[in-house]
Amino acid sequence: MKEARARSQRAEVVIERLGQKLSRQIVGSMVACVHCGLCTQSCHYVLANPGDPTFAPAYKADRIRKLFKRHYDWTGRVLPWWVKAGTVWTDEELEELKDIVFGKCTNCRRCTVNCPMGVDLATFNRMARGLLVSVGVMPEGVAVVSKDQWEIGNQMGVLKEDYLDTLAWMEEEVREELNDPGFRIPIDEPDCDVIYAVNPREVKYDPRTIADAARIFHLAGEKWTMPSEGWDQTNFGLFSGDDALGGSVARRLYEKAIELRAKKLVISECGHGYRSTRCEGPNWAKFDVPFEMESSIITMLGYIRQGRIRVDRTRNAKSMTYHDSCNLARSCGMTEEPRELLGLVCTDFREMHPNRAENFCCTGGGGAMSMSEYTPLRLKSGVVKADQLRATGAQVVVTSCHNCVDGLSDLIRHYQLGMEVTQLVNLVANAAIVPERVLVPVAAPAPPPEVPIPALPLAGKVLVVADDEPDQVEFLATVFEDHGARVYRAASGDEALVLAQREKPDLLTLDLHMPGRDVGEVFELLRRDPELATLKICVITGRPELRRLIYERGVRPPDGYLDKPVDQDRLLLNVRKILEVAHNG
Amino acid sequence: MSEFLHFTEHRLQELALAFMALVYIVRVAWFLRFKAGSERQAPTGRGAGVSRKSILYSWANVAMPWAMESTRRQPFLYVQFVIFHLGVAAAIALSFIIPYSPGLLDRPVAVRLLQVIIGAAAVTGVLRIIRRVGDPYMRAISSPDDYFSLVLLTVWFSFALLSVPNQATRGEFHLLAYFLLTGFFLVYVPFSKISHYLYYPFTRYYLGKTLGRRGVYPLRRGAGQRLTKATTP
Repeated sequence: MKEARARSQRAEVVIERLGQKLSRQIVGSMVACVHCGLCTQSCHYVLANPGDPTFAPAYKADRIRKLFKRHYDWTGRVLPWWVKAGTVWTDEELEELKDIVFGKCTNCRRCTVNCPMGVDLATFNRMARGLLVSVGVMPEGVAVVSKDQWEIGNQMGVLKEDYLDTLAWMEEEVREELNDPGFRIPIDEPDCDVIYAVNPREVKYDPRTIADAARIFHLAGEKWTMPSEGWDQTNFGLFSGDDALGGSVARRLYEKAIELRAKKLVISECGHGYRSTRCEGPNWAKFDVPFEMESSIITMLGYIRQGRIRVDRTRNAKSMTYHDSCNLARSCGMTEEPRELLGLVCTDFREMHPNRAENFCCTGGGGAMSMSEYTPLRLKSGVVKADQLRATGAQVVVTSCHNCVDGLSDLIRHYQLGMEVTQLVNLVANAAIVPERVLVPVAAPAPPPEVPIPALPLAGKVLVVADDEPDQVEFLATVFEDHGARVYRAASGDEALVLAQREKPDLLTLDLHMPGRDVGEVFELLRRDPELATLKICVITGRPELRRLIYERGVRPPDGYLDKPVDQDRLLLNVRKILEVAHNG
Repeated sequence: MSEFLHFTEHRLQELALAFMALVYIVRVAWFLRFKAGSERQAPTGRGAGVSRKSILYSWANVAMPWAMESTRRQPFLYVQFVIFHLGVAAAIALSFIIPYSPGLLDRPVAVRLLQVIIGAAAVTGVLRIIRRVGDPYMRAISSPDDYFSLVLLTVWFSFALLSVPNQATRGEFHLLAYFLLTGFFLVYVPFSKISHYLYYPFTRYYLGKTLGRRGVYPLRRGAGQRLTKATTP
């Protein structure tokens, strides 16, 4: 009688496609679980939510497994209640499944390496994500990011001109820092030994990592290039379970490297990007990659080992610990190289426990940072990671993954740990010794036209700083004033609106969580005001999940975005970029 | 020995074994019908033969309680696992010894050894039932098959324990119960979770192959690991 019930079209498609997705590895994981419960304590969601068995890996796996048993396995088809087989009938049930596979699991694979039977829950959780995505059931953030990666070619929707502009900007920065007119960030140069692919987060929010990598390549005398297209080494297909997207993104990288006849693809520090590009990509794309691929961790380590760059570890004197990215440690086996590199570039390294393949997830993995609806649960479950971090007593946590940078930064803020987060590339660049250059007189090129450089980089600029935290307002305003700007202070959205309309500033920094009028509404009003058409807005927030307040408004997005806590260098770098103010040394 | 007991010791076991073998053949054929996922990524570091080594590591994982945090942190559960499975092996061996080589049980040491192993397994079975019923996490993941299999195996151990001396002077009930249950298990096992041992070589093979190729297996551990305790903020 039950089978006569009408099944929703989406549920029908999910069941049908499950059958198409079943590989031998996945079927093995479906049938082999004995419900021994050994995996339970390996999951950070369980540890942080005691008493709630719905977080247990085996329980979560059974929400997917029941479909397999009911529709594809014999006992479940004959005696479903005996083995807890079941099915889905409605879209609401698919939504519930979505909350489990996206919201209660980061695919960190910690339960997998703790399962005596070798059940790979992370792999079939990803498969379940893919099934839901294929019928349009997914967190909104996953939909937005996937769309950007399909349509624009990178997961943050960075336009080609912005990407190239950022590279040019970083080139200028490093050239001046090194005082070396020969410094370049080469683009699309053929026949190079290295082609360097980055994470769009670096372009959009953290261009300093690109500058640091460029500096290292330059000091090592590397023959390298960056591609003008096919440069995004991240791959949302890993998180969404969409193999077609995963294959397409990976193929873009491979084809660009082949077009430029590069010998080696070096992947900037990114856990999921490295795994997607180096390990999963060839399978998804069904592509036999004819060149070598390696993480920039290995590249930097190689430069130091070979003496191509020299480093002074005393320049990184703060106490440091290392957070193993799940994708690097549990899916790519990269645990020793980062430690060796850290040992070469810092003076005080403190191991985190547990570590390597037994480390806990930063809670930002599996695309969790883009799923704001699960943020409260993510932060709560991060207590395990926070305890790990606190126990090290280190001032800085180093990680080789951009998701981890964001995930850890969030936890550090939430649990008030007072730590900094950085990546190996920043430490290596800081420790790298720049050799003295011997100046040889050459015929001087025609002098460029005289351009008056302002004494202070923000001289003549008018800024409004809007934030409800007095300390934050003072910090931002002081930095801007010290660099020549005239600054107005606002403590609410309403005040920011009034000041912007009255003073017509060049730039407004906007906190997303302030008392009074909804900040999303303020943002929209500013954007829709024709008199403020040239106003630049930089969002500075400690609550990244609130981004939807402005991105859902259907108006031009902000010109910049910074996560709190923000340091002076990063703040100035980004504000100068937004205002297109040149570095003045 | 009654004819019925003779039947349960011989013909019933042979029929049940043949049935189990047949179902297993069908089951493995069904499993192998699914295509194995391809592996195109270049192997990570550590040279040729890494996959073979990691597959062996993966298979041997069950005998290396130090290799996984889950068994390191829960040694009592691991000891239970070992005793329980030794008991299974001993009780299965007994079902062949009694009908085909009863002389082996003439030696008191052999009887005592089997009784200790099977008796310990029966006690472990009781502990496992208590855990499965009493622990909310275990209850949440348990199906009727999980309970039934565990209870039945524990009862089977109990009758195996009584049957070890292979004496029917005070009645055949314990021997009959043991062999009838053995026959039942041989028919039931391929449809239940108890057949997990059939899949263990496959799941562990593929996991070992994949993680070995990527340099994850054998797992590397840092010195002096300790665990942090989760607390509320």
